[in-house]
Amino acid sequence: MADSTSIDPGHPVPLAKAILTKGDLVEFQQSPTYSRYMGFITDLNESVRGKKLTDQCPEPQIIAKLVALLDAISKLAEETPPLQTDGRFGNPAFRTFYDKAQAQLPALVSEISQYLGESFGNRERIDYGTGHEANFMAGLLGLVELDLIRPPAYPALVLRVFFRYLQLMRQLQFSYWLEPAGSHGVWGLDDYHFLPFLFGSAQLCGHKYIKPKSIHDKETVDEFAKDYMYLASIKFINEVKTASLRWHSPMLDDISGVKLWDKVNSGMVKMYKAEVLGKLPIMQHFMFGTLLSFTPTGEYDAPSGDDGGPGSQLDDTPLNDPLEHIHAKGQEHPTCCGMRIPSAIGAARQQRQTGTRIPFD
Amino acid sequence: MDNSDIPTLDSWIQHLSECKQLPEQDVKKLCEKAKEVLLKESNVQPVRCPVTVCGDIHGQFHDLVELFKIGGNSPDTNYLFMGDYVDRGYYSVETVTLLVAMKVRYKDRITILRGNHESRQITQVYGFYDECLRKYGNADVWKHFTELFDYLPLTALIENQIFCLHGGLSPSVDTLDQIRTLDRIQEVPHEGPMCDLLWSDPDDRMGWGISPRGAGYTFGQDISEAFNQSNGLTLIARAHQLVMEGYNWSQDKNVVTIFSAPNYCYRCGNQAAIMELDEHMKYTFLPFDPAPRRGEPHVTRRTPDYFL
Repeated sequence: MADSTSIDPGHPVPLAKAILTKGDLVEFQQSPTYSRYMGFITDLNESVRGKKLTDQCPEPQIIAKLVALLDAISKLAEETPPLQTDGRFGNPAFRTFYDKAQAQLPALVSEISQYLGESFGNRERIDYGTGHEANFMAGLLGLVELDLIRPPAYPALVLRVFFRYLQLMRQLQFSYWLEPAGSHGVWGLDDYHFLPFLFGSAQLCGHKYIKPKSIHDKETVDEFAKDYMYLASIKFINEVKTASLRWHSPMLDDISGVKLWDKVNSGMVKMYKAEVLGKLPIMQHFMFGTLLSFTPTGEYDAPSGDDGGPGSQLDDTPLNDPLEHIHAKGQEHPTCCGMRIPSAIGAARQQRQTGTRIPFD
Repeated sequence: MDNSDIPTLDSWIQHLSECKQLPEQDVKKLCEKAKEVLLKESNVQPVRCPVTVCGDIHGQFHDLVELFKIGGNSPDTNYLFMGDYVDRGYYSVETVTLLVAMKVRYKDRITILRGNHESRQITQVYGFYDECLRKYGNADVWKHFTELFDYLPLTALIENQIFCLHGGLSPSVDTLDQIRTLDRIQEVPHEGPMCDLLWSDPDDRMGWGISPRGAGYTFGQDISEAFNQSNGLTLIARAHQLVMEGYNWSQDKNVVTIFSAPNYCYRCGNQAAIMELDEHMKYTFLPFDPAPRRGEPHVTRRTPDYFL
């Protein structure tokens, strides 16, 4: 497996986290790397508009290689069954799997394999969330940056590679009981993923008779889950959750009231920017290197004299896309949402020095 | 609280017990009263037995009702809740309002500690903020509650023997007196003792470790043993981690984890539990399963603004 994925030996430069403060996040959202990442997501999104998972699409060799890599990692998981334990939720066999998977990766370009290595969840916490999903996309974007993937391959990148990754993650989530520690609970789309709903709604744009409200029709969902990621995700959620969709997934239920898939899809893009890329507890874990670089200057950190306490300017800093001002649920931004920090600029500097992060959970 | 407040509080509790939210003005009044009550409590709030100790609830209102069925109604049973009332579940608003109302009404019968989710920063990501906007149309109720959260005590001490808190120990804290001197009336900081108490986890490895959560520390059995010994404690009871049986002994019974949200997020399949301590400090764990959800939740459907 390692041979077939040898693309370039690369020079090992460890990826590093760079977003520590709200100011850093605002700066990141205005950076070229953010534009490239979001541009990549929207290009992929456009590329699968109206396409089924089962449709033919151009598949250059690298697509097959990536799918084979994910197949191999899936096999590692099969060979590493969960251990009999009581106690904590997450299964410690995940750590064994994780180490085996890392060993499978280094033949790829170092940075790419690091992104993929960070995309299966957190080894210590035995959990998974949208930040890990973003690392997978960053790895794919890295391949684009190296010109190893070009736009004609985008549909296959979503319909073959990303979908295979999604299946692998469902396998890992099931097998090792990865904790949904980054979950918004009933107030999110899914305990683990976001992008299947974004790409999945693009696939359904313009569909003749499957409408957003069709998610309530079991027959439709069962029959077309093989063709559409959105329906596959609904099917999965209904299978793993108890009680009705209205109870465990009110957001998906609400979204089913939207008339057109185009509207669902544009909403997903806005929501992804605000609820994933705009949230510090997620983005503080995002990794940067040479392919995707970002070095905060601190220019958006708290002005001097602001203690970051209730009502402070720091607290009002919009965390979402600064150009679009999309806030949670589109309402006004809370006037009071920051954490008290010892002293304005000092705190940001101090954080950089000590590497202290705002908690993830 | 004076006696004239009692009928109002009783009517609020009655209303909330039916899983109905209070009007915004009443939430505001309630939070003001609660601040007065909580301000008088210590960072290490003394608690007498008998008392029933509970872990994370996370807005699972129907399961909280089940908890009271299993453990007995307040104030007939004394309760100690170790934080994480909000986020993720459907009814964080109703859950936290009910617990706060009970606290104000029966302040000597119920103790409510702060969890890492009782914070402005965390509730904006994990659901409580969104839920408040959805249920009240603006963020004022969220603001009232997150301001109140600053007043919640950090830890409790049952009969000078069992130390209760949400997360775990801190390398900056050797004695309970050090906790008593902390200025807790503030947002949960990024680091330092107050942060650690709400974020740390026990671990199989000895000593202190860096927490993969990004806040707090991991601590080994050597740490909890030394802490219990030097503070004359028999046990650290904490919450913060999902455990399959609802409770989980660790570190040679120096630490117990209690989690009181059954079938967490409608999928985890875990049992919940509470720890009943009788008047002789004898403990019994009472496990419970999720309450059945009947009919549909009574929250109006509303298209999220992203999709308008």
